[in-house]
Amino acid sequence: MRSYILRRILAMIPTLFLASIVAFVIIQLPPGDFATAYVAGLAANGDIVSQEALESLRADYGLNEPVAVQYFKWMGGILTRGDYGISFEHREPVSALIWERIWLTMWLSLVSVLLTWLIAFPIGIYSAVRQYSAGDYIFTLIGFFGVSIPAFLVALVLMYLQFKYFGKVASGLFSDEFVAAAWSWARIQDLLAHLWLPALILGLGGTAELIRILRANLLDELRKPYVITARAKGLPEWKAILKYPVRMALNPFVSTLGWILPSLISGSIILSQVMNLPTTGPLLLRSLQSQDMYLAGSMILVLSVATVIGTLVSDILLALLDPRIRYQ
Amino acid sequence: MNTSPLLEISGLKTHFFLDEGTVKAVEGADLMVQHGTTVGIVGESGCGKSVTAYSILQLVESPGKIVAGKILWQRPEATGGDLLDLAALKPNSREIHAIRGGEIAMIFQEPLTSLSPIHTIGDQIVEAIRLHRPVSQEEARRQAVQMLQRVGIPRPEERLDNYPFQLSGGMRQRAMIAMALSCHPSLLIADEPTTALDVTTQAQILELMSELQNDFGMSILLITHNLGVVAEMCDQVVVMYLGQVVEQADTVTLFNDPKHPYTQALMRSIPKIGQRRRGRLDPIKGMVPDPYNRPHGCCFHPRCDKFVPGLCDQQEPPLRKLKSGGMVRCVLYGE
Repeated sequence: MRSYILRRILAMIPTLFLASIVAFVIIQLPPGDFATAYVAGLAANGDIVSQEALESLRADYGLNEPVAVQYFKWMGGILTRGDYGISFEHREPVSALIWERIWLTMWLSLVSVLLTWLIAFPIGIYSAVRQYSAGDYIFTLIGFFGVSIPAFLVALVLMYLQFKYFGKVASGLFSDEFVAAAWSWARIQDLLAHLWLPALILGLGGTAELIRILRANLLDELRKPYVITARAKGLPEWKAILKYPVRMALNPFVSTLGWILPSLISGSIILSQVMNLPTTGPLLLRSLQSQDMYLAGSMILVLSVATVIGTLVSDILLALLDPRIRYQ
Repeated sequence: MNTSPLLEISGLKTHFFLDEGTVKAVEGADLMVQHGTTVGIVGESGCGKSVTAYSILQLVESPGKIVAGKILWQRPEATGGDLLDLAALKPNSREIHAIRGGEIAMIFQEPLTSLSPIHTIGDQIVEAIRLHRPVSQEEARRQAVQMLQRVGIPRPEERLDNYPFQLSGGMRQRAMIAMALSCHPSLLIADEPTTALDVTTQAQILELMSELQNDFGMSILLITHNLGVVAEMCDQVVVMYLGQVVEQADTVTLFNDPKHPYTQALMRSIPKIGQRRRGRLDPIKGMVPDPYNRPHGCCFHPRCDKFVPGLCDQQEPPLRKLKSGGMVRCVLYGE
């Protein structure tokens, strides 16, 4: 087990290296650079920027150097000094801009995953054990709605309802007085009070999907001979089901940890725009539009690190859960 | 010594209610298991032998249901010693939970899929022991080690912490037997216990079962389609066809003097060493009928070479007692 974890951690290093290159190359792909995007933005407002000013901007930001040099300078800064470069647009170090947003994104994702599990687990088991019952049909119907209605639409409807009937604006992750406040117990409570609704909306599609997966998996497992053995031993029905087939059907729950993070982050961009959430989504979108390369690159890098770690955690949990993986 | 049978099944009918129609998987099963004996149930695939066994423990799953008949079970002295009709119990009642594993245990065909792949052997045996015995975890573990040793698994203490996929097929079936016998049941139902094993291992497992039967004094209900296994293991044989018991006799009588045409045909279809007539086997003609459309009258008449027109296809013959002590369901043996 220890060597398995060690192997997996070592395998992360080349993955992350590749991810960092891909992150950097992707930002270089669109024609032009931050300077041209900046000038185009100014030109749209009627300002004229001289060629010299443009060139000095490029020189200041090191945009004239070859891509490889830029990459190694950037990576060197991250690895040696924890310096992610500066954001051209905000004229601030990247690390000052992103960390709070990244933590909030992580929290939102984590709460969303937990809510997804909490809801999907009992419903999935119920739907499989009572297949084709009225309850199963109702949950299936709700599940199809959950899969097919985009999260931002649900968010808009809920926001409207909340405003109309409770007079509250369900927007942002903090109340006004806490937006700029330092972290405190009161701020955390305020965050939790705001977090559950976007987390629930964000997890809606995943929940519906997970219910379907758990139901299908459990239906397969319920027909396996070891369930009959468990019954033939004299185990009461619910104990036999929870200890054996449900344990076997749990694997997708754990696997979700790995892939739910990237899908939540990409899915949360629209939702974050709609609900005005201070997550990475809107900032990433803006930085890509303005070709603010170090900001965008750093965010993509940190998110890929989070995804790789999420996958590692889910793989380790899977190995703990299933000896057949552990002993291979 | 108790002379009343340990288990007596009479007129058992277990039907499956499907959208396509009703499958009468068991349509009149009668059999008796005496204390300390081995009874074999033989028949082709789909003849209802497994469903009969599952019915005993109320393990038939929806849409299957026991619709008629009695399954009288003589409870051991320790649990009251009364006579209980298992067919009348609810599938999820406390009584049937106590009987499953505690008084009647079961082993299955495929020991790999019949044991949970993600729980250790020890976990699964200890669970069985603690379900029926008020013992501590340590004591249950000690008993589990003893059982593994008893069924011939080397280094039982280590094996206890192994997972089923780390054991060979034969060892897995031994572990399965250890689990089934861990609570000293008075009846062991073995549903084709050796079908998935190679011939050498088969012989070892059968030998082990006979040995354990002598030690524990239990009865065995052996479900198989292998007549060789029956000849070796059983005192009594029950032959089933299309959900009905068509013949019951002691093993020697059945092999020497089979009465029912189906049994006779089965015997002819066994390859024999040294008896090469024209080198060809004699199969039973025709196919097993569609389970949704059972033949009218005797259900074997379309394939029977002693078919009497106007009699066999008209009414279903009852199971009659013979002078030899056996029973047969055929119009040829009447008063």
